Amino acid sequence: MSAELTFEEARRELEQIVGKLESGQATLEEAVALWERGELLYRTCVGKLDAAQGKIEELGKRVDEAKP
Amino acid sequence: MKVEPLLYGDRKVYTVSAFNRGVASWVARLPSIWVEGEVTEFRRQQGWQSVFFTLKDPTDGACLPVSMPRGRFDGLRLELTDGMSVHVFGRPELYEARGVFQLRALSIEPLGLGAILAGLERLKRKLAAEGLFAPERKRPLPVLPRRIGLLTGNEAAAKRDFVTAVQSRFPAANILVAQTYVQGQAAPGAIASTLRALEREPEIDVIVLTRGGGSFEDLLPFSDERVVRAVAECAVPIVSAVGHEQDTPLCDHAADVRASTPTAAARLVVPDERELRERLDAARAALARGAGAALERARSSLARDRERLDRSPALLVERKRASLEAIAGQLQALSPRKTLARGYAIVRTDNGIVRSAGDLEAGGRVEVELAEGGFGARVEVTRP
Repeated sequence: MSAELTFEEARRELEQIVGKLESGQATLEEAVALWERGELLYRTCVGKLDAAQGKIEELGKRVDEAKP
Repeated sequence: MKVEPLLYGDRKVYTVSAFNRGVASWVARLPSIWVEGEVTEFRRQQGWQSVFFTLKDPTDGACLPVSMPRGRFDGLRLELTDGMSVHVFGRPELYEARGVFQLRALSIEPLGLGAILAGLERLKRKLAAEGLFAPERKRPLPVLPRRIGLLTGNEAAAKRDFVTAVQSRFPAANILVAQTYVQGQAAPGAIASTLRALEREPEIDVIVLTRGGGSFEDLLPFSDERVVRAVAECAVPIVSAVGHEQDTPLCDHAADVRASTPTAAARLVVPDERELRERLDAARAALARGAGAALERARSSLARDRERLDRSPALLVERKRASLEAIAGQLQALSPRKTLARGYAIVRTDNGIVRSAGDLEAGGRVEVELAEGGFGARVEVTRP
């Protein structure tokens, strides 16, 4: 579902959803749907942050170094 | 000089020597001129009458052999090295012995700062006219690049500064480092091709072009047309962090963003992880708050509806009761008992309620009704 989203796209959509919810115009059904979507986007973003490995490589050599 | 052909029947034929001499004498009539180019293949040896080098056009690689009498060359006291940009004043000639066209140099001037600046200005105007520096070409940098391409020289400082700054903000950043020549004649080509190799690597979301500080000449490769074009054509957003704050090589104009130092470039390409996580958490909290508020709104409007529902039959009874009471009040007001209570009395005979003295006779019997009880009486006297 949101596996294809980049971090930026996920974060932008998350902020839009927060804006919509904060405007207080959503009906209960909409609000619940937005909240669920927002939670998913939040987890996508945090997941991407957690997934980064901190690799320093050299082009040509490709020697992986452990993150300090 | 007269060049005589040999005759074979009606065919005029020239010997190689005569041909060369003829062309040489024609070329020798051309005026002396200034030619600009880069010195390559400079050759000077004891015992040679002349020094030799090739003048190369840096934009397309066109070449022109140049020779200069050694004595004259030594008199110039020039440290001529490969890659140096020069103006050569000379006359075109054909070296007869070998049939080689060349420029016979009379004077050589290294391109001074003024000439270099003028050349840069021309290039800048040309590339600007092509739209390479247009603001609308600038792309935003990614918030969280999957992988950062770093193109740097072999010197350690710029790379270390960048990597350290990146890791302090975002420890888990992935960096692909490509080192190449950033100085000297080979630098422009090396930088341009390394840049192309780097942008083809998977998951590279942003590229940083960096080089530590150096002299004006040291930074010239970053103003080379090949480098500037490679930067402009880069498939991913590119940050130029070349030299120091006061330096603006032309690649700065073609890049999407310019950073004054490698450290500043690091701040542009990675977010502060702590801050980013805080903002995400804040967004999540706002999400929960927003959803909670929507729930609260729905709940209270539901409660209002229900209350109205509860009250509506009650309201009906209430209204009936009120109108009933109003009628009762009216009834009450009309009741004679109320009048009697104020001290009036009702007098009756057998003919009914007495309203006039004329209905009575003296000595007649009447019944008197009071608010409480009543009595019988006789009429003593009547008055009209």
